[in-house]
Amino acid sequence: MSENVLKKLAGNVKDYMKFETEKPITWCTGCGNFGIQNALKRALALEGIVQKDVLFCFDVGCSGNGADKIEGYTLHGLHGRVISLAAGAALANSDIKVISFGGDGATFSEGPGHLIHAVRSNYPVIFVHHNNENFGLTTGQPSASTRKGVRMNAAPDGVFLEPINTMDFVLSLKPSFVARGFSGDIDYLTEIFRKALRHDGFAYLEVLQTCPTYNRDTPEHWYAERIKHIEDAKNYDSSDIWQARKLMQDIENEIYTGVIFEDKSKVNFLRAIPNRKNAKTVLKDEVKKYSISEFL
Amino acid sequence: MTRLRIKIVGQSGMGLLSVGEMLIDAFNELGLFVVCDREYPSLIKGGYSCFTINVSDERIFSLSEFADVMVAIDNVSLNQYFDFLVKDGVLIHGMEKAISIKQISEKAIGKNIKVININARETSKASGGSVLMQNTVLVGMAWKVLGIDIGVIETALKKRFEGKINIIETNLRCVKAGYDSVVSENLATGLVKKMSVKKSEKKFLIDGNKAIALGAINCGVRAYFSYPMSPSSTILSYLAEMSGKTDMIIKQAEDEITAAQMALGAMHMGTRAFAATSGGGYDLMTETVSLAGMLENPLVIVVGQRPGPATGLPTWTMQGDLNLAVFSSHGEFPRIVLAVSDPIDAFYLIQHAFNFAEKFQIPVIVLSEKTICEGKINVLPYDENAVDIERGLVSEEELKDIKREDRYALTETGVSKRWLSGDSEVYYFANGDEHFVDGSLTEEADEVEKMYEKRMRKIETIKKTLPKPEIFGEKNADISFVGWGSSKNVMIDTIAICLEKGVKVNYLHYSFVWPIDGKSLKDFFSKNKNVHLIEENYLGQFGNLAEAEIQEKFAGRLLKFNGRPFFVEDLIDYIDKNSKK
Repeated sequence: MSENVLKKLAGNVKDYMKFETEKPITWCTGCGNFGIQNALKRALALEGIVQKDVLFCFDVGCSGNGADKIEGYTLHGLHGRVISLAAGAALANSDIKVISFGGDGATFSEGPGHLIHAVRSNYPVIFVHHNNENFGLTTGQPSASTRKGVRMNAAPDGVFLEPINTMDFVLSLKPSFVARGFSGDIDYLTEIFRKALRHDGFAYLEVLQTCPTYNRDTPEHWYAERIKHIEDAKNYDSSDIWQARKLMQDIENEIYTGVIFEDKSKVNFLRAIPNRKNAKTVLKDEVKKYSISEFL
Repeated sequence: MTRLRIKIVGQSGMGLLSVGEMLIDAFNELGLFVVCDREYPSLIKGGYSCFTINVSDERIFSLSEFADVMVAIDNVSLNQYFDFLVKDGVLIHGMEKAISIKQISEKAIGKNIKVININARETSKASGGSVLMQNTVLVGMAWKVLGIDIGVIETALKKRFEGKINIIETNLRCVKAGYDSVVSENLATGLVKKMSVKKSEKKFLIDGNKAIALGAINCGVRAYFSYPMSPSSTILSYLAEMSGKTDMIIKQAEDEITAAQMALGAMHMGTRAFAATSGGGYDLMTETVSLAGMLENPLVIVVGQRPGPATGLPTWTMQGDLNLAVFSSHGEFPRIVLAVSDPIDAFYLIQHAFNFAEKFQIPVIVLSEKTICEGKINVLPYDENAVDIERGLVSEEELKDIKREDRYALTETGVSKRWLSGDSEVYYFANGDEHFVDGSLTEEADEVEKMYEKRMRKIETIKKTLPKPEIFGEKNADISFVGWGSSKNVMIDTIAICLEKGVKVNYLHYSFVWPIDGKSLKDFFSKNKNVHLIEENYLGQFGNLAEAEIQEKFAGRLLKFNGRPFFVEDLIDYIDKNSKK
């Protein structure tokens, strides 16, 4: 984190602290969720986004258990459905920043349909995919991103299927913003969050997350040895989808993080929908009696 | 009461809908009361379909199973429906080869049915029309048979094709050719002549789905999320067509779960939004309904019922999903189920649904039925100010002193203060997990119990607030009925028909179906000694709930579950057998 950013953060420390909870945290020691939430709170403080300006939407699982561990307006929904819930909220009041969180079970097993159509619809929502490569809260069953051969709860002989390449999948959908971070790289993750917060449209942010209890296959040091920053990739152009997809093929050796792809030309849903292009108000403020006589 | 009954039969895709629409436009133009509905299979081309129209000079709501006049577009459908044409009726068709309907012609003689036939296709061609415009020729024939001035149908046609000059002219020629082809000794039954047309305020032909769409617009709904499913799909089309003017967000979602979730999220943020579906789609939404119960988040879902299980009869009607609406979703939580019965009350009930959902912070399920969704009647202009918007949100004054603990405070009514994200620096957690008064998670036994009871206390509060069921018909009735949904339509018509015959019938109608107002029901039972259930399902779902509520039994149950709505004849037969006269 640069000195300037540090100074700014120090200046906004009160805003940061407001998001901090006094309640006992229920995540395991060493859980990647601490790093993710820490980076998020920093990014919010740095971007001048205060409690009143943001709605946090949570899926179900270990990430979802953060629903009352960040101080602000939160909405804790069902398993696999958080993207749609957040999208509905965002469409109703686009003055509020809507940030949603879900794990790999929610995103790539229970509810991938929602992800696909949220990317296509480009709703003004940030979605944080907590990818810890297993089902944590149900005690360590494999997920669609668990690596092949790993022994898990309910997979005593090891997972015999290939994992889904989640980043490549999302990139195949012509997204407007795709980023990846690592829960142990908080400074860099903070910067990624800041960029996601500034993005106007659906921002997919995957965080590779350590799970000290159930994912012993790819622990903190495993990632630390492999994580690279996108700024260090040679001649990388984050507006080139094919370069992005190619780079994301490697999930074993060189794992790049940062804003991997961005298409700034894509407008968000609220400005794409023809009848709302010139809307001056948000739906929340439009609830009143309307005459219907012309439609009879 | 005079009732003219017409059936137009033909294969799907042959344009019988447009024949029907032209005729109902013209009857509406005349100032008569119209009820119509369509029967058709779940396919786009082929199969046999029927468009039924009943017309009267008094307000009617339901249909007869039979027809005085049948307009047949093809012989497959004619064979299917011919038996519904009454003795002394009129059959109009435009088929060129009479051989294919030889059997029918013989039967027609036996029933003293007048058969009126010209080669409609040739007539259309000779008038410069297309093959499809043979339907307009048939309309002209029917109009002449009914003995009504051609000017009325001409006006209706002009309105229908407004702006399309060429189409209008060709259609006018075709309708006239059909009209002129019918010789005067074939003039009909004179049923229309018997009707006294009272020129009243202009009426509008409208189906239940459009009434729900308009009611929603009227009460400030700003977003609609839906996955198409018969018979609710046209709510989506209507709202989309009007969205250029309403500026509503209309989103065809990727599935019903999404539609429900988006509606819930949008309501959470403080706009009004809803989703509509049918039973199968609602199955997928039920987890979201449960979430709304826990979050105490308003949610409105419309369920257009059709017969199940599974795909069932996708294009037919039923009241089979009451149990689903009442008992759906895991866990226990308060909810309201209300049921529309026609395009009049649908406009107002959807508005009440939003008020109740917001005031009580609960899910509200609005039941409709295929026959209401797609059946049209002509209505007077709605009273657009009849239902005020009630949001159940805190006032600005209250917001100044709001505390986090207020959001789920353990109130006597069960209803706590609700404010929206961004309204105040004082935030709260809307938590799908069990929670304390500020929404933060708890699993402590005492706290869980308190919050659970608080939510459930709403049931009593709701019961005290819900409007009472409505009684139609006579005191000291020879036979009484209790029902909900479209049953009201056939009951109102039956009450009038029976009264003419000297049989007194009355009917207790529930628009607010759940929670059941047991007191009104008990009262009805105490004042009426021969109380029967009328319901369109096998189990008598409402009947079972009602009997459990008041610990009394219905004298009998009139149930129907073959996909057809109740016709007036169903009621007359049943009353003949069961009235204590």
